[in-house]
Amino acid sequence: MKLRFLLLLAGYFALSGQFTLFSQQEYRNTDQVNSALRTLASRHGANASLKSLATTTGNKNIWALTLSDGPADDKPALAIVGGLEGNRLLSVELSLKLAENILNEHKDVLKNTTFYIFPNMSPDATEQYFRQLKYERKGNARKTDDDRDGTVNEDGFEDLNNDKLITLIRVEDPTGDYKMFSEDNRVMVKANTKKGENGTHKVFTEGIDNDKDGKFNEDGEGGVIFNKNLTYKFPYFTPGAGEHPVSEKENRALLDFLYERWNIYGVLSFGPANNLSKPLKYNAANAKKRVVTSVLKKDEALNKFLSDTYNKIVPPKNAPGSIAKGGGFFEWSYFHFGKLAMSTPGWWVPEFKGDSLNKATKNPKLNFLKWAEKEGIQDVFVEWKEIQHPDFPNQKVEVGGIVPFKMLNPPYAMVDDIAKKHTDFVLEIAKMQPSLSLKNLKTEDVGSGLTRISVDLYNQGLIPTHTEMGTRSRWLRKINVVLNMARGQEIISGQKRQLIDVVKEDGTIHLSWLIKGKGNVELQAGAPQAGTEKLTIKL
Amino acid sequence: MKSFKYITAALVLYLLCPFVILGQSSNDVFRAAGSPHNPKVKISFNKYYTAEGLAALGKKIADAYPNLVKRQSIGKSTEGRDIWMLAITDYSVGDADRKPAFYVDGNIHSNEIQGGEICIYTAWYLTESFADVEYIREMLKDRTFYIVPTINPDARNHYMKEANTPHSPRAGLIALDDDSDGLFDEDGFDDLDGDGSITTMRRKNPNGNMIIDPRDPRRMIQIGPDDVVTAQRYEFLGSEGLDNDGDGRVNEDRPGYYDPNRDWGWKWQPDYIQRGAYKYPFSAPETRAVADFVLKHPNIAGAQSFHNSGGMILRGPGAQEDVATYNRADVRIYDAIGKKGEEILPGYRYLTVYKDLYSVFGGELDWFYGSRGIYTFTNEIFTAFAYYKKANGGRDQVYKANKDLLLGDGFTNWKKYDHPTYGEIEIGGFQKNVGRATPGFLLEEEAHRNMVFTFYHAYHMPHLSVSDIKEKSLGGGLREITAVIKNDRLMPTHASQDLKYKIERPDYISLSGGKVVAGMIVNNEDFNVTTEQKVNPEKIRVNNIPGNSVVKVRWIVKGGGKLTVTIDSAKGGLIRKSL
Repeated sequence: MKLRFLLLLAGYFALSGQFTLFSQQEYRNTDQVNSALRTLASRHGANASLKSLATTTGNKNIWALTLSDGPADDKPALAIVGGLEGNRLLSVELSLKLAENILNEHKDVLKNTTFYIFPNMSPDATEQYFRQLKYERKGNARKTDDDRDGTVNEDGFEDLNNDKLITLIRVEDPTGDYKMFSEDNRVMVKANTKKGENGTHKVFTEGIDNDKDGKFNEDGEGGVIFNKNLTYKFPYFTPGAGEHPVSEKENRALLDFLYERWNIYGVLSFGPANNLSKPLKYNAANAKKRVVTSVLKKDEALNKFLSDTYNKIVPPKNAPGSIAKGGGFFEWSYFHFGKLAMSTPGWWVPEFKGDSLNKATKNPKLNFLKWAEKEGIQDVFVEWKEIQHPDFPNQKVEVGGIVPFKMLNPPYAMVDDIAKKHTDFVLEIAKMQPSLSLKNLKTEDVGSGLTRISVDLYNQGLIPTHTEMGTRSRWLRKINVVLNMARGQEIISGQKRQLIDVVKEDGTIHLSWLIKGKGNVELQAGAPQAGTEKLTIKL
Repeated sequence: MKSFKYITAALVLYLLCPFVILGQSSNDVFRAAGSPHNPKVKISFNKYYTAEGLAALGKKIADAYPNLVKRQSIGKSTEGRDIWMLAITDYSVGDADRKPAFYVDGNIHSNEIQGGEICIYTAWYLTESFADVEYIREMLKDRTFYIVPTINPDARNHYMKEANTPHSPRAGLIALDDDSDGLFDEDGFDDLDGDGSITTMRRKNPNGNMIIDPRDPRRMIQIGPDDVVTAQRYEFLGSEGLDNDGDGRVNEDRPGYYDPNRDWGWKWQPDYIQRGAYKYPFSAPETRAVADFVLKHPNIAGAQSFHNSGGMILRGPGAQEDVATYNRADVRIYDAIGKKGEEILPGYRYLTVYKDLYSVFGGELDWFYGSRGIYTFTNEIFTAFAYYKKANGGRDQVYKANKDLLLGDGFTNWKKYDHPTYGEIEIGGFQKNVGRATPGFLLEEEAHRNMVFTFYHAYHMPHLSVSDIKEKSLGGGLREITAVIKNDRLMPTHASQDLKYKIERPDYISLSGGKVVAGMIVNNEDFNVTTEQKVNPEKIRVNNIPGNSVVKVRWIVKGGGKLTVTIDSAKGGLIRKSL
């Protein structure tokens, strides 16, 4: 009886979509994300299809959700990627809510744009948020020897104060390099000897030195980080990078999928890189080397334009800039994939402005604590508490610090608004996407059976058909212009097939042919990422 | 009727004859020094074998010597062929995967075929000489060879079976859209004259810049700016082919094109920086199979890949930007082996890729060294030196050798052809098996010399022993045990690149059989300078055991018992010695 009732209830939720029934209070775990994706795919069967690209070492699916109106690869596409790093739960929610918002409220965008959405590239790691012991995990379930000492996972965290959270330990020790911050002694900062400061503490992550190598928690559970395993400036031999670039199933599955979708013009990722709040800056020396490490000149201007658009929707105040980290996905999507590359964390700790009682601070941790206090956000700090530590039997050791995840992920109540803003941004991008068409077609009878055809190939988008980097890449197809002729027709001047590198934003390329013969010719012009138009021309 | 019977009998005898001779007892042959004289497995080393041919030979060798060879597929190619590996060692001694190992492969570039035969020759030689040659017996006692004759079986076959030039396909066979028109591999070569090779097209043209060499009609020569020419002028129209897709270009989207030797995961760069790169490191299944195999075999300490041509013994770095990766200590080891190679391989030069050849990213030898700390060479097999055993033969040499040594085999004489785009043209030139592939009569020699070069390299992988154990009583039931660990070959257990990045775990030197109260590394025995290891003193962790050198470790032991010292080194093997 009871079971039957539960089954009925479960069926009812599945049918009605549980997320419209109750408002979600907390970040969704893997099962909830999976079920939300399945619900979307079944409710919007005509416009949404769900495919598992791979199963991770931790036995979780890497999902690709395709949103399209008609065949997906017929239209220019934007790829949206979340879960680059497993401690960023927000990025998974943003990807998911973007899909929900598009399908529920903005389906018409699919008439011109296809979306490939990958909500979570680090499902093995994000799951740590929902486990009994919470810590900010980024690595997948592959077993790795992070400190390269020949032993795997021999020194992980320990929850010394039994609060189910991994925070910090501070050890009173005159040989230490840290001290309590003068503005607030909850926060530990490095002592600056050049300012006459002496260290008073050692600070480690919470745990014991299990392998007695003098390092704390340097080789725990948690393997390779998706956002550290890509090809651009791959950080060889560093923890979480993997033994070589793109060694992980997650990375390979996503790249194989993206490389085979020629219609993708842009990639938006939700991760630590942020070229939307703060555009990339051109550096001539680095742009001209064989191994390019600066945004190219034209792409700098394009990035600035996209950033202006983003900043109107999401104000950039206090936003972190782009930290180019080795092996990152955003860097790959621009420098190695050559597409229009956009990345933002989606949210960051706002600036606490301060008042007469409570002063503003330059320390990011303290700023967070002050902001949280003002907002009335609870449980962001574990007060320092003395414990007995086996590695420091005769020293004062305390456990405490900022609660994991809280500085990177806003309270869930804020997520809807953040998702709405990012949906608006994505819709703006879709409006500006490259879009080729043939305008001003003219046929002139030149006499003696000769016809001159002229036409303008026009990009009405505010984004060029190829980024400057994309014109160099073999993975962005060039614009193909093909004139198909029937029997008895002959080109006297002009090319049957020609390739065009780029049509810039709001740009035009004039084309003409001189044809001998009668009847119809077919003209086709375009590229998968910028749209293709076909015309039948009567001679 | 009678005469028919007689003829049949004669024919049968005639046919049987070669087998009778090959199967002869050793009484009927006389041993030529340096070669197995009556091998169990008969192989002709004056011809080349397809992927299936190599696979069959590998199987014969493995079947004939089950105690020396284990044959295993390390993965599948793009078209689903097995990539066969022969693991050769003396299986009666130790664990094959714990012995210092030498990895050899061939044919990463599909048209660079000799590596396949050199690998098979090596496997054949190791097995067939095991009984007679002490050097081989010693080598297989404490070393393992992992031999992969072709890591590109699909395109090896394409090179051999389809119409190609000496330089094609080079790539693997994953179809790519080289001309960005949305079609994949739609305009390759066409064997217009049906000779099985892609040669050259030429056309009479009064404004052309070539004429036929009046002294050798096979040859075209270029007209100089001051030449007064009365002969018929020609122009070259490139390799044999048609505009298959009607785009106004000939042969512009051939099978491939990506370069498997730009697909390796050390400082990999994308196609716009490094032409030939595919999607990401190890995105071709063949290179991935090798990388996965190597990652699972940390005992590999030396490696060799075979290419052609030019007669080169190449070391990294491949890219100018990677110069800092190769430091002086390791370059000394490379130099010692490379210079020995120049002696063993007359006509070959020991060179560095980035400065002597070209500056490239994503090569195999760079991944082996940069990412795994494995000393690795690439040999470019065959040089025109081999024709007359003389350097600087010039451009004429191949024409001369083709006439004098190959008696004209391998050249298609110029013939008229009616081309749909170019009209009346002539087609001719060297066939695909001339220029890069070693001619048959020189192949066995070249295989042997390259093999012994790899043996020299393999010999100098770390060779560890516990050369001495000293015992001293400290009183109070305490004993001081000092072990001297010796490496009597050139290579250290950790290359400097390995040490710098801790690529491979440290070597462990353990003492068992007694209660260890303290353990230390002895830095200077005379002055008693030691570094104590406070945790797990019974298992001393040593970062490296350098080449031609010793490392000393010491334990303080309480109580008695039979003591055993164990060396456990990923690249140096597992060795035990009891006191």
